[in-house]
Amino acid sequence: MAVERDRLKVPESVSDEYAPGVKGFFQGALSVLTGLGITARAATRTPTTVRYPDEKLTLSDRWRGPLYLRGALGRDSIDIISAPPDEYNGVIDELYRTERLSPCIGNCPANVDARGQAFLIADDRVPEAYELVRERNILPGVLGRICHHPCETACRRTRYDEPISIRPLHRFAYEEYRKVASERIKPLPQTRGKRVAIVGAGPSGLTAAHDLMRLGYTVTMYEGESKPGGALSTGVPSYRLPRDVLYNEIDNIVAMGLDLHCGVKVGKDVMLADIMRDNDAVLVAVGLQQSRILPLPGTDAEGVIGALEFLWAANNLGEAGVAGKRVLVIGGGNVAVDVARCALRVGASEVKLACLEGDNEMPCHPWEIEEAIDEGVIAMCSLGPVEVLSSENKVTGMRMRPCLSVFDESGRFSPTYGEEMTDIETDVVVFSIGQAAVLDDLVSGTALLVSGRGQLVVDSTDFTTSAPGVFACGEVVTGPGSAIGSIATGHEAATSVHRYLEGQSLTEGRVPRPVPVLEKYGPVDFDYVEPERRRAVIELADPEERVTDFRVVEPGLTREQAMAEAMRCLRCESEVCVGCTFCARVCPDYAIKVERSDEPGARCLTTYELDLTKCCFCGLCAEQCPTGALQHSGQYELSFYHRELMVFDKGEMLRDGGGTRSTGRDGITSPACPAPPRKAGEAS
Amino acid sequence: MSFLWGVVWGVAAVLVVAVGAIIGVWWERKVAARIQLRLGPQQIGPAGSLQMVADVLKLLVKEDIVPDASDEPFFRYAPLAVFAPVAMSIAVIPFAAGWAPFDASVGVFFFLAVPSIGVLGILFSAWASHNTLSALGGVRAAAQMVSYEVPRSLSVLSVLVLAGTLRPVGVMDAWQWWWIPATFVGFIVYLISSIAEMNRGPFDIPEAESELVAGYFADYAGIRWAVFMMGEYGAMISASLFGAAMFLGGYHLLPGALGIVAFIAVASLLMTVIMWVKWTLPRMRQDQLMEFCWKMLTPIALVQLLVAGVIAAWL
Repeated sequence: MAVERDRLKVPESVSDEYAPGVKGFFQGALSVLTGLGITARAATRTPTTVRYPDEKLTLSDRWRGPLYLRGALGRDSIDIISAPPDEYNGVIDELYRTERLSPCIGNCPANVDARGQAFLIADDRVPEAYELVRERNILPGVLGRICHHPCETACRRTRYDEPISIRPLHRFAYEEYRKVASERIKPLPQTRGKRVAIVGAGPSGLTAAHDLMRLGYTVTMYEGESKPGGALSTGVPSYRLPRDVLYNEIDNIVAMGLDLHCGVKVGKDVMLADIMRDNDAVLVAVGLQQSRILPLPGTDAEGVIGALEFLWAANNLGEAGVAGKRVLVIGGGNVAVDVARCALRVGASEVKLACLEGDNEMPCHPWEIEEAIDEGVIAMCSLGPVEVLSSENKVTGMRMRPCLSVFDESGRFSPTYGEEMTDIETDVVVFSIGQAAVLDDLVSGTALLVSGRGQLVVDSTDFTTSAPGVFACGEVVTGPGSAIGSIATGHEAATSVHRYLEGQSLTEGRVPRPVPVLEKYGPVDFDYVEPERRRAVIELADPEERVTDFRVVEPGLTREQAMAEAMRCLRCESEVCVGCTFCARVCPDYAIKVERSDEPGARCLTTYELDLTKCCFCGLCAEQCPTGALQHSGQYELSFYHRELMVFDKGEMLRDGGGTRSTGRDGITSPACPAPPRKAGEAS
Repeated sequence: MSFLWGVVWGVAAVLVVAVGAIIGVWWERKVAARIQLRLGPQQIGPAGSLQMVADVLKLLVKEDIVPDASDEPFFRYAPLAVFAPVAMSIAVIPFAAGWAPFDASVGVFFFLAVPSIGVLGILFSAWASHNTLSALGGVRAAAQMVSYEVPRSLSVLSVLVLAGTLRPVGVMDAWQWWWIPATFVGFIVYLISSIAEMNRGPFDIPEAESELVAGYFADYAGIRWAVFMMGEYGAMISASLFGAAMFLGGYHLLPGALGIVAFIAVASLLMTVIMWVKWTLPRMRQDQLMEFCWKMLTPIALVQLLVAGVIAAWL
């Protein structure tokens, strides 16, 4: 990075030429006066001297480019809220150390290789990127639209400017892969001769099926609905997830050899006991089918409905009987927001959403409620339901009271209410306060145990149930959660099934994986951040227009945007320099020169020079290096006799970045970056 | 009796010059800093105002170095020979109506003549240092100071012609406001030649750090060097006070006792202008310096004297 410095400015009135005689005298006098004027003006300007000691810790603006530094020098704005369990921390630390795991991978419940994805997309190998993601995330195209992206929250680039758009990159990879899918999908060989049955075609079941098929098992899947996908098919609104994407990705899995039976209700059409007899192992991934409804007076009136039923009708029938009616949604989670937005799309005249929590502690994701409010949903926070008001068995309103606090001092759910009652007029009340499993038909005739609260008894570490050979995964185990969380349990359950069928210990070497606790970073300051460093902006559809039907709200990335976005990836922990230039930016002595070429398919570091005659050994470059390519060596006494030796040509950092170190996965080779020629006489 | 009064006035003059020099150095460092976009002294005391007190303390306890090859008595006492005439010259300045510390009938002559003795002090120090650069600086200083006596005296003469007396108090009594425009050119000549007299920038070639190291006081250190420094600032103070009185009306600017305040304020302003000039203009060359004196300032001062004479005759 060449540094621009101000050039000396000479005022036009100043000249070193003068005429002889009287004219020269006046010219001289004038130049003296001009000089006095310049110094007088200078004296009126604010001095630039640092007022020691008040200002001694002030950093120049140049230092503030990488935000991480603000944390490194003072550890101020980066606070990690609530520490995760030690055991889990240990696992993550170990993974980071041994597998060079980047934060995005570590924070994803299913450990999707987002770094490898960005690497391959930047290398213009998009279908390979899709396949890499699919190893851990069975439905990249689907999750690329609906995931709540903990990876982006953890992205280390947040410390420098903005996170990589990992989720939209999944979607982009899917769109590209779709064009070549027919060539690349091959049936997986069924080599083991053992049969596994999976009940439920939701994300966790599909994940386990894919894992098991890749291990060579023969997998049969039963789905009660007429279409596969589970909650993705029945619950997620189609303005977020067009169904052709979902069914296309499931078709791909079927094409790999999955034996999928839709419209078969296990417990009615087929008995689970029969399936257990015909297969070597059974995996129950039935999810949660029933909405919970609060036991309040008046909930038997016509017009009270559960969220799942409402969403099923809105998605599958395109209408839910609320056209022209006023709708009140009880609940503040993501499902409640989905219900509210769907209600608008199926013609409700007014949609209100009431939840116990205050507006800054709503359980839904902030961007979800933001989009809903844009579309016209009225959110009413800190209200607790009391009674459904009805006349002639038809809902006319809802009596509510203010909720003073939701959680008690120890953080348990224990709402306290005020006295003042409010009546909200409405025609339809949708309860969106959680879901429950319906297991009675399923477990009849088997040894499976169901707890008193109607939940399947499952070991949450190895996913075994009370019956040998029967496993469970997905929301039926975890309770309501995210799609990627369900996918993570699918991987774990598949491992258990495999170990069970191989006769290995189910528990050996396995550690319970709690949902990762994310680091929170300080607010991002975009001063001095160049526009090309910023994240791609995706314009959502106009709220006025989009509420009228189930059109897709969010467009994807264009190819150019996706390429640029993938190039922003810093490939954290890869220990290979990506030429991000952040070390040059933080260097107080301008001692580092970094250059890289940004051609798609050949994103290569071309120059890395460290001028040791300028280096002050402060270590800021190593402190902020995202990849770990720069590291402290402790050799502060480094010295040379020849000046030429003090300019390092760091061939070490330009080494072949293949294997786990650059991408997190074996077998991926880096683009052909030519190693720079070494200078004669340099130590190799 | 008069001897005792002399001692009292002498001590008072030395104190005034010393304190004035301390304030002057602090103020000059502030002015220079602001011109260079700096803050100047800021650590010791409010706005660094006690910095010079600390500096004086430091200079007092520094080792008193006398070079082996030097002519010791001359080397030791030359700074006093530079400082004393400057302190003496302050005695004739008319601070208030009808009052000057030393009310002499030839006071103006005294003011112009006595500081010239300082040239001898400079020559002493230059010679006694036994050092080429010091000798060169001393000779330069002597040439410069003797030369600039001429335009300086001529410019003051124009005021004396109008006043018709050599007594500073009498000049102030006879002062009329229109003297300011009538003698303005003379005032500029006085100011410039006074700067040259006190060897300050842009006329500081006798000291010329870049070529003569520090000229005639190159070998001086500690408190002896500080006395030279005080001599320079004392010359600045006395020249500013005298110029403010003769050319700008002194205590006439405000009525009564406030006149003294106005007088000192104007003199301080003149000191600031002298600093401002120093921190703006680059150093002149020796030949330019002499040319400027004899071919420029002296004729201009003569013309000013002619104008004043015509006005005096016409009245």
